[in-house]
Formats: sequence, C-alpha cells, structure tokens
Amino acid sequence: MTTPQTTEQARPPFWRDIRVIRVAGQIGAVVVVFLILNWLISNLINNMNRLNISTSFDYLFGPTNFQIPYDPQFNPRSPVWEMTLVGVKNTFLAGFFGIILASIVGLIVGIARLSENWLVARLATVYVEFFRNIPPLVLIIFFGFAVFTFGPFPILSESWEVKAPGSDDNLLLINNDRWGVPGVTQDGSVAIFWAILAVGIVAAVLVWRWRTRNFDRTGQPHHRVLWVLGVLIIAFLIGFFASGQPFDMSWPALSENRRQVVGGFEVNWGFLSITIALGLYTASHIGEIIRGSILAVHGGQSEAANALALSAFQRYRFVVLPQAMRIAVPPTINQFLNLVKNTSLGTAVSFAELTALTKTSIGNGRPAFQSIVIMMGIYLAFSLIISLILNIVNRRLQLVSR
Amino acid sequence: MTAASPPIHRETWIEQVKKNLFRNWWSGLITVVLLPTTGYLAYRAFKFFFINGQWEAVQVNLTLFMQGTFARDEQWRLIAQILIFGLAFGVGLGTASGAAHDRADDAGLVFKRSSLADTLKRMWSLVAFIALLLFFASTDETGNLINPYLVVAGGLGLSFVGYQAFRLPRRLRNLGWLLTMVLLVLGFQVVSGFDAESWVPLSLILGSAAYASVPTEMFDTAATRQAVKVLAALGAVAVVFAIYRVVDAPGIGWDEWSGLHLTLMTSAIAIVLAFPLGLLLALARRSTLPALRLMATTYIEVIRGVPLITLLFMGQFILGFMVPAGTDLSDITRAIAAMTLFTAAYVAEIVRGGLQSLPSGQTEAGQALGLAPPTIMRRIVLPQALRAVIPAMVGQFISLFKDSSLLFIIGITEFLRVRTLVHAQAAFRGVAIAETLVFVAIGYWAFAFAMSRESQRLERRLRVSR
Amino acid sequence: MTTEQTPEVFADATRAVGEAIIELTDVDKFFGDFQALKDINMNVGRQEVVVVIGPSGSGKSTLIRCINRLEKHDAGTIIVDGIELSEDIKNIQEIRRETGMVFQQFNLFPHLTVIDNITLAPRQVRHYPKDQAEEEAMALLERVGIPEQARKYPGQLSGGQQQRVAIARSLAMKPKVMLFDEPTSALDPEMIKEVLDVMVELANGGMTMIVVTHEMGFARNVANRVVFMADGQIVEVGPPEHFFTNPQEDRTKLFLSQIL
Repeated sequence: MTTPQTTEQARPPFWRDIRVIRVAGQIGAVVVVFLILNWLISNLINNMNRLNISTSFDYLFGPTNFQIPYDPQFNPRSPVWEMTLVGVKNTFLAGFFGIILASIVGLIVGIARLSENWLVARLATVYVEFFRNIPPLVLIIFFGFAVFTFGPFPILSESWEVKAPGSDDNLLLINNDRWGVPGVTQDGSVAIFWAILAVGIVAAVLVWRWRTRNFDRTGQPHHRVLWVLGVLIIAFLIGFFASGQPFDMSWPALSENRRQVVGGFEVNWGFLSITIALGLYTASHIGEIIRGSILAVHGGQSEAANALALSAFQRYRFVVLPQAMRIAVPPTINQFLNLVKNTSLGTAVSFAELTALTKTSIGNGRPAFQSIVIMMGIYLAFSLIISLILNIVNRRLQLVSR
Repeated sequence: MTAASPPIHRETWIEQVKKNLFRNWWSGLITVVLLPTTGYLAYRAFKFFFINGQWEAVQVNLTLFMQGTFARDEQWRLIAQILIFGLAFGVGLGTASGAAHDRADDAGLVFKRSSLADTLKRMWSLVAFIALLLFFASTDETGNLINPYLVVAGGLGLSFVGYQAFRLPRRLRNLGWLLTMVLLVLGFQVVSGFDAESWVPLSLILGSAAYASVPTEMFDTAATRQAVKVLAALGAVAVVFAIYRVVDAPGIGWDEWSGLHLTLMTSAIAIVLAFPLGLLLALARRSTLPALRLMATTYIEVIRGVPLITLLFMGQFILGFMVPAGTDLSDITRAIAAMTLFTAAYVAEIVRGGLQSLPSGQTEAGQALGLAPPTIMRRIVLPQALRAVIPAMVGQFISLFKDSSLLFIIGITEFLRVRTLVHAQAAFRGVAIAETLVFVAIGYWAFAFAMSRESQRLERRLRVSR
Repeated sequence: MTTEQTPEVFADATRAVGEAIIELTDVDKFFGDFQALKDINMNVGRQEVVVVIGPSGSGKSTLIRCINRLEKHDAGTIIVDGIELSEDIKNIQEIRRETGMVFQQFNLFPHLTVIDNITLAPRQVRHYPKDQAEEEAMALLERVGIPEQARKYPGQLSGGQQQRVAIARSLAMKPKVMLFDEPTSALDPEMIKEVLDVMVELANGGMTMIVVTHEMGFARNVANRVVFMADGQIVEVGPPEHFFTNPQEDRTKLFLSQIL
C-alpha cells in the first residue's frame, strides 16, 4: 500500500529515473527470453513441418504397437495413453518400494553410525561411503546383470530355489529373470474377516485412548503398544477362524516346460534391481541425514535430559528423536524426490517405467517432442506433489518461536 | 615445577575390546552375529579380488577404459594433457597456498602448510586407483605408446615443480592465477586443437587480465583510464587471435572423445559452462524485479523437477530440431548442452543459498558508502557468497560426475559404456561381467570419494575461518 | 537501558549551528499497512548534533535510513545539502556520497582487511589512487586510535574496535553528514566509551550528526537538540537541558521515567 505523493517531485530525466529503469529492465529481459524461445520453437516447428512430423497429440489415441515387457495383461493394440499410465504406475511402484527400503535401511544405518559398538559404527561408515560415491546407474546395472555372476553371491545359471525349512515349498524361486516369492490367495468369505478386523481396529483405538487416560490420571505406566498389539492379534485370530480360514498360501513353482514361474507372487527382475539399487543408494544419503540430525540435537538437549534424570531410552524417545526428526524430515523428503527421479534409469534393466516406455515408444515412431513433453510434465507433477507434501510437513514441523 | 597431572589409565586391549564390542548384552549379541558375517564376506571378496576374478578383461582393455575409442596414434595428446593439467594443478595450489600464507601473516597467525604426505593421505582413494591402474598396466601386453609410469611420474613431478615455483610474493600473486587458467585452457586445447575457431577462451582470460592490470595511474581523467583499459584488452584479444590464426593446428574435437577421459571432461566442461548461467539465474531469482524473478524461478523449478535423463532425451531427440536446418550438432555437444542446462539450475540454487547467507547489512553498508550496485555485487556480495558455496559446488560437481554415467543410456561411449565394447570382444562375451563393472565402480568411487573428502575439508576450514 | 553505565562524555559547547543541511517535510513511510513514519518535519543545521530517542519500534532507525535511501519514503520531501531525494539514481548516489552511516551491527566487510574496508569506497567511487587512499585511511585510523590494526581482518577485532573502523570507513568518503544508527547497542559495556569518545571528537570537529541512541549521557552532553519519537511521530523536540529536566508531553515523561 502506498499513499500518493503529497508534493510533486521534479521528474528526473528518464534514463536516471529508478521507476523507468526498473520497468525497462524487466521489459528488456522478457523480450530477450521471448526472442530466444521464439527462435527455438519456430525452428522446431519449421523443422518438424519440413520433415513431415506431426505436431499434434493425436498419436496418444493410436495403438501402442509393442508389448510391454513382463506385463502380459497389456495389449499392444491399446492406445499410447494407456501405455503412459502403465509407465506412471510402474514409476510409482518402484518409487514407493524404493522409498520404503531406503527409509528402513537409512534409519538403521544412520543410528548405527553413532553406535558405541565399534564394529557396527565401522560397517555403517563403510556402507555410507561406499554407496553414496557410486553412480546409481552402476548400482542398477550391478543388481540387474552382475550380482549373481561372481564371488560373494550364489552364482545362478538357470534356476535357483530356496526351500522353506522342512517342506517342499519354495520360499524364493529364480528362473532366469523371473522371480517368484510366496503369495496369498483368498476366497469368498474374506469380507467377514475384514469386517471383524475393522471392529478390532476400532477397539484398539479405544483401548489406546483408555490406556492414555489412565496414564494421565494415575501416572502408572501405560504399556499402550503392548495392549494395542494384543487387541489386534486377538481380533485377527477371531476373524481368521470365524470366517473359516479365508486365506491360503500359494507357493511359487516351475511350470511344466521349466520356463515360467507359476503360483506365488511374481516379481520381475528389472523392478527388483532398480528398487534395491535405488533403495540402498538413497539409504546412504538418508543415513547421513539421520546421523547429522541426531548430532545436531545431541549436546545441550541431552544434558538437559540427563539433568532431569530421564533414562537413555526416554532421552532418545522424548527429547532427542522428536527434535532430530524435525531437522531430518525435510531433507529426507528431498531424497525421496531424488529417488523417484532416479527410477527413470529403468531403461538400463528393461524395467517398464515411464522413461523406458517413452523411449521405446519414440523408437517405434511416435513423435519425440510431444512424448518427451508429456513425460517431463508427469515427472514435474510427481515433483510438485512431493514438494507440496514437503511444504505441509515443514509448516507442521516449524517450532513455535519468536 | 610440579603440575598436577590427570590420572592416566591405560586401557589394556581386553578392556578396549570389551568397551567397544561387548559393552552390554545386546551390543555383544550384535558383535557375535556381525563378526562372522563380515569375516565371511571379506573372505569371499578377497577370493574374488585376488584368486577367482577374471581380471584379464580389465587388464587387456585398460587403454580402452581410459580413452575409449579415441584414436590410438593421437594418444600423445592425452598424455600432454595430463602433464599440462598436472603443472596447472601445482601452480594453482602453490598460488592458493601463498595467498593463504599471506592472509595468515596479515592477521598475525601462524600458517600451517599441509604436507605432501597429508595431501596424498587425504586423496588415498585416488592414489589407490592410480596404483591399481599402474599395476594393471605393468602386465598389459597390448603395448602402449609411452610407459604409463612415466606419465604418472611426469604429472606428479610437474605439479610438484609448479607448487614449489609459484609460491610467489604478493604482488605477483595474480600472475600465478593467470598462469593456472592459461595452462588449463592450453591443456584442454592440446587435445581439442589450436585451430582458427578456438581463440575465444584464451582471449577472454588474457583480455580481462589486460583490462584489470594495465597501469593507468599516469592518466588524469577517469574516461582516459577507461579507454586505456579497453584498448589494452582489445590488444590482448587481437594478439591471441593472431597467434591462433598463425598456429592453426587442428586437434581431436570432443565428438571423438570417450572412456574415462570423456567422463571427466564432460563433467568439467558442463560445470564450467553451468557456473555463469547459474550465477545469472541466482541473481535474477534474488532480483527485486518481479519479471526476472518469475522467469528464473520457473526455469529453476522446472529443471529441478525433472530427471536428467529426460533432458538428455530432449537433447538427443529435439535439440537438433531447435536450431536452423542444416546445423549439425554432435551427440556429445547435445549431451553437454543438456547437462549444462540441468546443472545451471542446481548451481543457481547453491549460489542463491550463498547470497541468502549474507546479512543484508553488507549490501546496506555498500549503499551507504555510495558504491554503485555493480560494484557492491562484485566487491562485497559475490566474494563472500561464492566463497561460502565452494563446498556445495564441489558436491554438485561430484553429483554431475556421477550423473555423467547417464550418457550410457543415450549411447555415448563414456566410462561405463566401454564395458559393452569389452564384452563384445570374442574373448569376453558373457564372461567377467562383474569384474569389469566392479572396476568401473572403483573408478567412479575413487574420484567421488576423494572429492567428497576435499569438500568436507573445505567446509570445515570455512567454518573455522568465519 | 541503564543510565548508570553510560560513561560521561563532554563536548565543546561553543559549536555554532549553521543553516539547514537536511530538510524533511511531511515524510511518511509505510511497511505494508503499518505506518512507520507519520508526517515527519525536521530540519538539521550544519554542524548540529541531533540525538533521536524513543521506545523500540518508534521509527527512529527508519527515519535515518530514509535520509540515505536505505528505505524509500512514500510521501513528503527529503532534501540533503540542496539535493532532493527522488527517483533519480544520480541524486540518490550523490546524497549517499555526502552522508556517512554507522550501523548497530558495524557491517564491516569480513573478507577485506581493515585498510581495504576503508579504501574501498574512495578508490571505487572517488577514483583515488591506491597510495593516496591508503595514506588517508591511515590518518583516519590514527584519528580513531587503532592504526596498528590496519592489516587485520574485522573478525579479529573487538566490537569497539570494529565500530571505530566503521566510523573511519564512513569518514573516508569525507561526508558532510554522519548518521549513527544505535552505534553502541551491540557493544559490551566496557567498549561503549571508546566509541562515544570518537563520536564526541567528531562533533567537536564540526560534523553534522544525527544519532539514534539509548545513551542518555551522550544526548545530555553533546546534543544540540534531542528529538523524542513514538509511534512513528515526533512527539517532542528541545535542547537537552530543557528536554531532560522539563519535558512537556506525557509520552515523553513516561518514557524518561522508564529509562532514567
């Protein structure tokens, strides 16, 4: 808000007037950028017209014309936009499981780096320094092509099985690039089971509240976690047997011709190698973040906690970790974003994520410009969603201070 | 004089083991589980490295890994490059060390020079990698042009000579910096050639040096001084231009580079090109002019929101269409363009962080003294902000160095892709897959680890000097 | 704000105040919806020392920051030595060259030595040769009493020494007016006097000064006039003997009773 000038000032010559300079500077910059963009895009359109390349997005509704690897359900006659959705789904899946793996390993490594056990701390340091200084693509190729071809790991030639102890069922079955792990099948009465489990969850919440209130009132230990776990286990057992055991295990096995894996849950090797490689790579970064955050809190806050006679566990649980998390969460979410972006390397191991499919699609004659723009738009959307989450988390985490 | 000394309790090794490995029951349990596991893995790794591994695949193809498909009979260019860069490194380090020494003297502090042994220790991963290369080279029977031992010894020797010779007195300090930059350009161009088109980098350097250092005290008016400076700069540019015209010795352009050489050079070229662009973007994003801010922010956030590989695809499939028909851009040029545009956005954010870390009082003090905005930027803001971001810039370079492996995906034969050439050879089809990959991983790791150590050290030193 | 810690400093009372060098007429300043300055009218004569006091947030700092355009005033006119502060960048630069400013946080350039801090502006703006600039800088360092620190970096000096360097840095541009923005507020008590002594010496030398401060001893003994500000307005103006012994406004009385 500005108020009008009460006295008219002498206008300086325009080339010395700040207001004129500011406006002129902005117009100049916009014009320069516009001219560059205009030059690039008009060249692009001219060249595409000259070579008779379509500049429309109609191709999205034409057939894909190729089979997506490891996705027998996908019909090559489905339109290109459906292929794009499959890519988005696979990118999301690799990102999701990669993030879970990276979080778990990262947390363990970060805490292990600060362990008083020399061996644990050393191994964690070696882990971090090893993984974060190697290009993720090298790791992906390692897990994709090299891991079972040499020394420290079992060498796989054709098929490899890990039996469940004391039975003939396979816990893990690897046949060339097809992986099977035990899966779960369900029958009709499963709805009753879920209903009973839902009641159990409601009961667990009530029990949690009751224990908390009891703790607030009497100061007696609440043992909330034990109580809730107990309630959930009881609900699960009741549900499982009351509905007539609706679940069954399904074990992976080789098919008759010894080429396919039947039964169980099939995971493809591209997916596994990219998830594991990126999970382990990102974990090394997350480990450093966790370690740094704990160290940042440690000093004075730990002393204050000690002065209050909190136990080591209480000190971590109530003083150090809540503050360390506050510091660690924003950079960790950034690492998650990096992980999702790195899934774009799937093409190196023929994993059908967005970039790999787009690349194949361009190779099949779909227009490159439109395909790449759509692909970038989708990644941008992923990034924006994650930044949005980051902003919300940041706002919630902000300490109230003057 | 009897000073009270603290009670010294020397721990026996048993006490130490107990304290570090078996402090309490769960620590002991973890040790009992981890120790044999680690031992077993170490044993298997040892067997792989020293007994079972088929390292011939690397050994025979060592030159291929280093220089890829670069013409073998032009190898002397790469060797000359190593030697010149070695000298440049030494001169730069000596000059920097001299400057640090002077600053410490000014401040009345004792300057502690890091010894050669310390430097080598800090860089142990690189030293080990070079030792590994030399070990392989000693058994390489393909016959290199020049003994690799001589090359390494020559590079190290020249950098030592440069370091010792260029601890110059204060008034010659800028000469050291100038020589470093000139050597870097010459080292680059000994490979890429001194032909008629490549006069620009050197004339930029020598032109600005002439502009900054020509004596003008004898002229009275500011306008005359300015004119003399501009004339000196133009003169330097003209001389450089003339020399390049006369010499006109073409070399091997980057389109023909490959292997580890290409990996290192693309990362270096991209970060050098990205720096000015990133600086401009950062200044635009911090500007008070909303239009500039908006454009810079959009660019930075869009680029940071997409993976590098999509930009490389953009470069491979589209960039060629964005220039007038008939302009021929090679694969590597387009890849470097994509890497530069990508890195610029990250550099911009790093520089912005440095600018933000500066208290606003610094600019205000400059304004209050009547300094012009460009002077405030050049003399007050940038020297401080850029110094503060050096560690982050090294980090960005590491990241770019690792990302250069993505050129693999768009079919450029950088370090990682040399493997496909190796495994296309009859002798290594389908064998030693892990060996070549482990070698490549060690190569990446050695460089990245050494640089990350260096960046941590710089960060500590900056924090102390603050 | 403890008066007992204020060191006693005395000025030469025979300073003659000349015609106005700074003229503020109906100056308003807004930060968003908040009005930081309301209808400020004030003249400062040549060789005059004006001390501005008031509670925090009263607009004292904003007032002097408007005089050299560190903040842009939204209405009214500010004239310094006959030059009007307008949108004309030439005028702004001229005014900034004629006014020196000393900040609460010193704002020395930490990457430059003391002597480089002082010679930067004379060499860049006035285009002095290096030797002349350094000679003058050394003379200024003598004047503020720390010539032996010339080659050190600001971070190696104590707060009082840093503030004296900052004063020398401003003086190097040979300003006609010096603005002081709470120059002693960031200093440890034992260093306040060394800075105030330099300021008194400056005042005795005939420098025109506007000083925002909480040092009532300085105001009482050195100022020609004391200006009391509250809520962005000038509440009361008067010579110190009158101002401290017989304030007219209730707001002034309340403030003085809180700090004295």
